[in-house]
Amino acid sequence: MTYISYLYFFGFVAVVYPLYLVCPKKQKWMVLFAGSCLFSIILDGFLAVCLLVTSLAAFFCGKLLTKLQEGFNTAKKDLSKDEKKQLKAKVTKKKKAVVASGTIISLSSLVVLKYTGFFEGIFNSVSGIFGGIQLPLITFALPLGISYYTLQAIGYIVDTYRGKYKAETNFAKLVLFISFFPQITEGPIGRYDKLMPQLVEGHKYTNENFTGGATLIFWGLFKKLVISDRASYMVAEVFDNYTKYGGVIVFTATILYTIQLYTDFSGCIDVMSGTARMFGIKLESNFRQPFFSKSVGEFWRRWHITLGTWFKDYVFYPVSLSAPVMNLSKASTKHMSKFMAGVVPSAFALFVVWLGTGLWHGASMKYVMYGLYYFIIMLIGTLLEPVFVKLSSKLRIDRKGKIMSFLAVVRTLILVNIGMTMFRADSLEECGAIVSRCFVNININDIVYGTIFSLGTDKHDFLAILIGVLIMLIVAVMKEKGTDVLSGVANGKIYIKWPVMMGLIIAVFVFGAYGPGYGFVENIYAQF
Amino acid sequence: MEELLEILSQVKPGVDFEKETELVDSGILDSMAIIQLVARLSDEYDIEITPIDLVPENFNSAQAIYELIKRLDD
Repeated sequence: MTYISYLYFFGFVAVVYPLYLVCPKKQKWMVLFAGSCLFSIILDGFLAVCLLVTSLAAFFCGKLLTKLQEGFNTAKKDLSKDEKKQLKAKVTKKKKAVVASGTIISLSSLVVLKYTGFFEGIFNSVSGIFGGIQLPLITFALPLGISYYTLQAIGYIVDTYRGKYKAETNFAKLVLFISFFPQITEGPIGRYDKLMPQLVEGHKYTNENFTGGATLIFWGLFKKLVISDRASYMVAEVFDNYTKYGGVIVFTATILYTIQLYTDFSGCIDVMSGTARMFGIKLESNFRQPFFSKSVGEFWRRWHITLGTWFKDYVFYPVSLSAPVMNLSKASTKHMSKFMAGVVPSAFALFVVWLGTGLWHGASMKYVMYGLYYFIIMLIGTLLEPVFVKLSSKLRIDRKGKIMSFLAVVRTLILVNIGMTMFRADSLEECGAIVSRCFVNININDIVYGTIFSLGTDKHDFLAILIGVLIMLIVAVMKEKGTDVLSGVANGKIYIKWPVMMGLIIAVFVFGAYGPGYGFVENIYAQF
Repeated sequence: MEELLEILSQVKPGVDFEKETELVDSGILDSMAIIQLVARLSDEYDIEITPIDLVPENFNSAQAIYELIKRLDD
């Protein structure tokens, strides 16, 4: 069952939603719990087993961490400052052992299932150089959502270790937090302190939640079925056979892929957030008009936001504050210029973050390079910043002016488009070949004589994509300026709400790429 | 407080730390500067600053940083 299916809407949500509404307030969370368990089992029985292991690890580690912290809080009251320090060090040592165990157990199924083949490949390559043994490559079927709920569970364990909140005492409630059905396969990666209170609150029906949720669902379906899926056909044809086509077609395909990926991922997130919203639950935002970013760093603060903030809180900060990086920072301050003393430790921590981000997306060198591509761009940007500042001052260029801001957006779009091409291509070499291919055999006749429209995405598809992207652009510009069109529609007067809703529904049913003649297109981000 | 102001001006010269109340929110202290600052503070005051302490409210002003140090020293 995928989120974009009749079974999900009419076989699953249509059953769970009324049950949730009729259930007494205090028991409503149980409907969500039962629904989430059922959803995981329907998706994949093995996923349910992995979820259970992770949930058990998170539950017992969380409880132990809170117990240790509370024991310390009680004991410290009667101690002197030095004794307090000694006890704190002792308790921290125990807590570190617990948090490490919990993290390792939670990560184990992900690491074994996702990365065994990758590490075997590295071993075989190194072993091959010295004429050593070669391991048979083992690959496992990856349960949907494992990369998302694992991070969510680790976040919970680490936050309990940090004392951000007390551990959950009800196992079923923790399972619900980790496996909540609208977010299990593609995120957004939730935080316990924000999501859990909403899950157990027990919301009653409100028009605002229902229409707000329904608007988001149809907006998501519009993005996915009208834009993304139509774009996917030409993208698949050109990326698989790029040597057959000239620059105009290959370049168009790379742009289409960026559009496909964004509308696929953000569209599915809208469908999930809309479903959750109907239940009165607000999921974290995962996108904030990413294509208006003026730098690659800003792009990643607006794209897949919950993954970025997860890496910031649970990788960047811990690495930055670790003893080796702190020592590096102190040594840099002593021996380097102020600027470099700031750059060096951060660069080290960012390297770890981007290596992790790349590997999270997939177990292959391509994804490692995908992460490091962004790391290198950001590092170059940081190192050249003083040069840019001096240059713009000498040339009297206002870097925050409209022209320079526009150019910065265009530069970011180009860099991101290359990153997306790397993401879609089978290997780094293929990405290089596709990017180079954009600049050869440039023939405008590919458009004039319609070759471009014969590659799976025809003229009508292009028109639908163009109109769809224009509508998205208008909505995005307005949101950037502070007007949330979708909320406006959902909460607006009846003569605004219903025509727009009907327009969206008609657009999805009439222009959506589904039914006979259209193949099913998997959600791209569900495959991680 | 005097000692803290001295450290702050070494990490980020040219800022009026006595008056500024939006050091993080206005981008004066970015993540690089905060990491440098944390290294200095941990060293000077023998405190352990953890990721949970790295929120804008704790670093937006010299007074907030001072309060954080006092809290962690307890």
